[in-house]
Amino acid sequence: MARPKIVSLTEAVGQIKDGDMLTFGGFTVWRRPMAAIYELIRQKKRNLHLVEVNGGTHDDMLVGAGCVGIWESSWCGHELYGKFGSNLARKIEKGEILYEDWAHIHILNRLTAGSKGLPFLPTYAAMGSDMLNPENDNLGKAGLRDGSNPHIGKLKYAMYQEPFTNSEIVLVPAANPDWCITHVQMVGAEGTVRVDGLKFSDQEVIKASKHNIIIAEQVVPEEYLRREPTRNMIGGYLVDYIVEQPWGAHPTGLYGVHEPDGEFISNFFKATRTQEGFDQWAEEWIFGVKDFQEYLSKLGITRLESLKANPALGYSSTMKRGSR
Amino acid sequence: MESKKGHSKPGEFKPMDLLACAAAREVKDGEIVFAGTGLPMLAIMVAQHTQAPTAVCIYESGSIDGRPIDLPTSVADARCSYQAAVGDGLTDVFGQLQSGKVDLAYLGGAEVDLYGNVNCTFMGGPTGKRLTGSGGNSDIHSLAKRSVLIMPQFGQKRRFVERVSYITSPGWKIPHWPDKEWVPKQQVYGPAFNGGPAAVISDMGVYRFDEKGEMYLDTVHPGFTPEECRENCSFDLNISKCKGETLTPTYEELELLYKVIDPEGIIMK
Repeated sequence: MARPKIVSLTEAVGQIKDGDMLTFGGFTVWRRPMAAIYELIRQKKRNLHLVEVNGGTHDDMLVGAGCVGIWESSWCGHELYGKFGSNLARKIEKGEILYEDWAHIHILNRLTAGSKGLPFLPTYAAMGSDMLNPENDNLGKAGLRDGSNPHIGKLKYAMYQEPFTNSEIVLVPAANPDWCITHVQMVGAEGTVRVDGLKFSDQEVIKASKHNIIIAEQVVPEEYLRREPTRNMIGGYLVDYIVEQPWGAHPTGLYGVHEPDGEFISNFFKATRTQEGFDQWAEEWIFGVKDFQEYLSKLGITRLESLKANPALGYSSTMKRGSR
Repeated sequence: MESKKGHSKPGEFKPMDLLACAAAREVKDGEIVFAGTGLPMLAIMVAQHTQAPTAVCIYESGSIDGRPIDLPTSVADARCSYQAAVGDGLTDVFGQLQSGKVDLAYLGGAEVDLYGNVNCTFMGGPTGKRLTGSGGNSDIHSLAKRSVLIMPQFGQKRRFVERVSYITSPGWKIPHWPDKEWVPKQQVYGPAFNGGPAAVISDMGVYRFDEKGEMYLDTVHPGFTPEECRENCSFDLNISKCKGETLTPTYEELELLYKVIDPEGIIMK
C-alpha cells in the first residue's frame, strides 16, 4: 500500500498472526514500542519468532507471557534496572523456548542484509566464540534448518575464505521479519518518520521487514516534516499502519520526551524471578487494565510528570537518581 | 574532602574508587575508547579529566565524543549524546570498531579465564545459569586493539578460571570453528586481527597477559598479597612478575569521582 492507515493499537496489532517473525525499533530500555507489547500479550499471540539486534524489558515480557516460540538476539536484560531477563533465563534453563545467541554485529548484519536484498553479510566479529560453536546451533538441533521455514536459514552461519585477502570470515544469513514495530517521536499523516536522538538500528530493521507499524507520540502534518527532509528517517510508503499513542514507550525511555521508569522496570525484574511472579505482575498491569489508556491512568499523572525530559537537555534535570 | 596533593592512603578510599582509577590509567591521551555502562563510564571520564583530555569516547548505541554534564546510566541514555559530535547508530560505531579504529575498550563479565576469554552468557555452559548474553561484549572484545576487563574477584574465585564454561568473547587462545582446534587468536583472525585483552582489573589486583597470552599478576592492590590474588583464582596464577602495589587513587581523582563526575551518587554511593 502506498499510504499507511491510521488505526487503533488494537487494530494494528490484530494484523499480526501467530508464528510471525517480529522485530522492534529501539535499544535495550530505550524507545521500545511498549504499548504494542502489552497489546500483543493481551491478544494472546503465540509462537512468535523474535529476531532482534538486542532485547530488553519488552522481549522478556513477551517471553514471560508465553508469546514467543523462538528468540534470536544478542542480549536480554534491563540495563542497570535488573541483572538479566529472568523470564527468558528461566525458559532457557527449563528448555521451554528455542533460542539462538548472536553477537551484536552478527544480528545487525542479518537485518542489514535483509534491508538490502542480500542473502548474507560477512563479519569478523566474535570468531572463536561459543555462539559459533556448531554444538550451540539450537535451531539446527531442533531439525528446523530443513528449508521449510523461510525465516530459518539452512545453516546458522558459514565460515568462508574470501577471495580478496584470503582471510576467513563469518557469513550470516539475511533476516526479513514479517513485522517491525517502532516507537518514534513524530510521524506525518502520510507516514514520514522522524526520530529524535540516536537512531540505533531502526533504519535497518524497518527496511528489512515486510510490514511496519509506527507508533508515535504525535501524528503531525506531513508538510511540517517535509520542511526539513534531512531530519527524517523513513518514507511513508514503507509504513503499513500508524498508531498515535503518547507515552507508548513507557516504561522504556524516549529521547527528549521522557526518562525510562527505572523503578517500574526494577519492580518488574523482581517480580519475574518466578513464573507466578510474572503472572501476577501481568494480571495487575496488562490483563487488569482495559487498554493502554487505562494503564496510563493507573500509573497516574504524578509518576509520568516525574519522568518528563527537559527538552533543552534531552533528559530530566530534576529526577532523583542517586544516593546524594 | 580537603584539597591535598598526591596519592591517598589505605582507609581513605573504597575498593570501587581504586577500581575506577586503575581502569582510568589504562587510557592514553588521544585514544578512541569504547565504554559500557557503570564503572567504565567513570573510568573514561576520570581519564579525560586527567592524563587523557583528548581521548574520544564512543558508546555502542551510536553516540560519538559526547561531553556529558550528568552521569549516564546506560549507553543509550540521552546524557551520553549531550554535546556529542555525532549521534547516529550501531552500523556506524560497530563498523568503525571492525575497521580497527577503537584503541581501548572497557568490558565486564561473569567469568574470565587464563587466556582472557570472557563469559557473560551461561555460568556453567549451556545447561547452566543463563545471563544476559553478549550484547556488544563479544564484538568489542574481539575487534578492539586493547580491551580492559573490570571484574569482581575477592571471595569469588569461580569468576577467575582456567577455561570459561562458555566463550562469549574470545581472548588470546580460542577454538577455530568448526574443527574446534585451540589456537592463538592471531591465527583465527588473520588480517582482521586488531589486538586483544590487555588487562583485567579486579578489586584485588591488576592482571596482564604475557607473550603466550596467559594472565599474570602485574600489581597487587594495597591490603592484599600476591598469594591472596592467586588463592582467589581457580587456576595457578603466575605471580612471579608482580611489580608491587597498585597506585592508590590521587586526591584529585577522588574529588573528580565524587564531586564532578558522579555528584548524585549513582555509582559512587
